Amino acid sequence: MTWKKTKIFKIQEIWPILPAALYLLGFLIIVLLYLLGLSFSNTARGVFPTLETYAEVFGMPEFREALLNTLVFVIIGTPLELFVGLFLALLLYKSFVLRNFIRSLVLIPLAIPALVTAIILFILFDFPGGHVNHLLLGKYDAVPQIIQAPVNWRGAKIFSLGISLLGKVWRDMPISMLIILSGLNSIDPELFDAARTMGAGLRQQLRRIILPLIIPSMSAVVLLRSIEMWKEFIFPFVLAGQHNLLGTLIESFYNNWGYADKAAVVALVLVGCIVCTSLLLILAAELNKRIVQG
Amino acid sequence: MSNIVKISALSRKVFWLCAVIFTVLLIIAPVFLLFKYSISDASSINTGGSPVPLWPYNPTFRNFLYLFSDNQFYGVVINSLLIAFFTVIVSLLIGVPASYVLGRYQIPLRKPLLVGLISVRLFPDIASVIPVAEFFITIEAHNTYWGVVLAHTLLALPYVIFIGTSAFEPIPRDLEHQAMVMGANRFQIFLKILFPLAIPGLTAAAIYTFLLSWDEFIFAYFLLGLGRISTLTLYLKQKLAYAPPQNLLATISVCLSFPVIIFSLLLQKHMSAGITSGAVK
Repeated sequence: MTWKKTKIFKIQEIWPILPAALYLLGFLIIVLLYLLGLSFSNTARGVFPTLETYAEVFGMPEFREALLNTLVFVIIGTPLELFVGLFLALLLYKSFVLRNFIRSLVLIPLAIPALVTAIILFILFDFPGGHVNHLLLGKYDAVPQIIQAPVNWRGAKIFSLGISLLGKVWRDMPISMLIILSGLNSIDPELFDAARTMGAGLRQQLRRIILPLIIPSMSAVVLLRSIEMWKEFIFPFVLAGQHNLLGTLIESFYNNWGYADKAAVVALVLVGCIVCTSLLLILAAELNKRIVQG
Repeated sequence: MSNIVKISALSRKVFWLCAVIFTVLLIIAPVFLLFKYSISDASSINTGGSPVPLWPYNPTFRNFLYLFSDNQFYGVVINSLLIAFFTVIVSLLIGVPASYVLGRYQIPLRKPLLVGLISVRLFPDIASVIPVAEFFITIEAHNTYWGVVLAHTLLALPYVIFIGTSAFEPIPRDLEHQAMVMGANRFQIFLKILFPLAIPGLTAAAIYTFLLSWDEFIFAYFLLGLGRISTLTLYLKQKLAYAPPQNLLATISVCLSFPVIIFSLLLQKHMSAGITSGAVK
């Protein structure tokens, strides 16, 4: 008779879990109630319940632009994070002299607050001076001139969202890498020995062994990273002031214009997008598993 | 034939080495440049046409001295420290008992509970901050220290419980059993045996919470806004809005990141384990 089996639990003994459970549940209820309540009301006219705010927000060009921008951000950013993570993980998988040191070094981006990373990019992509403009103008001896006039990185839409994406991917590199690395580490090394004995080259090992076996980790990266991409706020907030993602649109509705109701609508749209993306990705992973097995 | 194989193996090694060096540079360069800007004098920033130097013309710590002589700076650092400190206290007070239960009892649905706990963090901060801010306006917690502490506790709690649970879980059950045979009650067992053994894990949770609160921006920004209380992240944002000299921005950024970098490197092992189980965002 083991301790585990005799002592499952008595209700009076697990009360210590209650404060945390109530705290989290309480806030969850508050968040959902307020979001729904605000989105179905028109605070300016004091009307509740109404669908006016939804109609108004969906009709706004700012909203449509932000939704489209965010969609592009997610569609470009998620695969980018996957490839960067895959590249780093494969690079640092095999053992070499300084591997542990370099692996710690690769974790640095995660240890820098996102706000600071955004500010580094803010300084580097300054206009009209700044390192990047000077570099592309060919002011440093080693690099030829690429552009004729300095680029206003933070002004133009494509550039400002591009450098936001750059910052995001740079900061998240270690996360994708670690998840894929843990997948790689779970592969039995004997598989590689066997493949080598049978004459498989590196490329074949990659295609036939590594990639199929790390599909679960890659799916995890895609799922988690796409959610993070939808949520992104801090980089576009600092770097793309004039071009909104959904996150920054919520901020400007709430703080600049004082529309709590409109902000709540956009927040719910954002949550909806995240839920839909997650469901789609989980469905895709499930289908893929079925097809592979069947 | 064997020569070709050798050459291709060599070129592969060279390619791999270049890739590693490129990666290291890509990671080091922004950090180095931030540090460079923080010790730059004005002439290395407004270069008047000549390229921005990779090392300042006259390296100086004057930016730091300027910052350290600014009373507002001390004010915001103290605010950030206070908020982070109380966030740690509240998170541990609420989180440790819960992780004790999750780590020591076989309660039903334990696994889904833990997964659900971490999934809470997938909810976008930028979406939950609006309702929380509106709720805090109603209960007059807007623009107060404890409002931000409560919000940061909300963010930290899932991590604290998650890390705490894995700190309590591996402690051998025999210890508990023997203490019980000797007549100790549940509370004594928790206080005298389980808690001391869980301290390393709980310390990691505490440091993690502290850092989370220290560099948190979204909730601080929405809950404190431009009110009378400001934190270090808000101070940085405020400076950013007034087209500040880049060296000052970099100096504040260095002060903000320094503790985070140091403690993160110390916590590296926990962080890596946390990421692979989905605990770190």
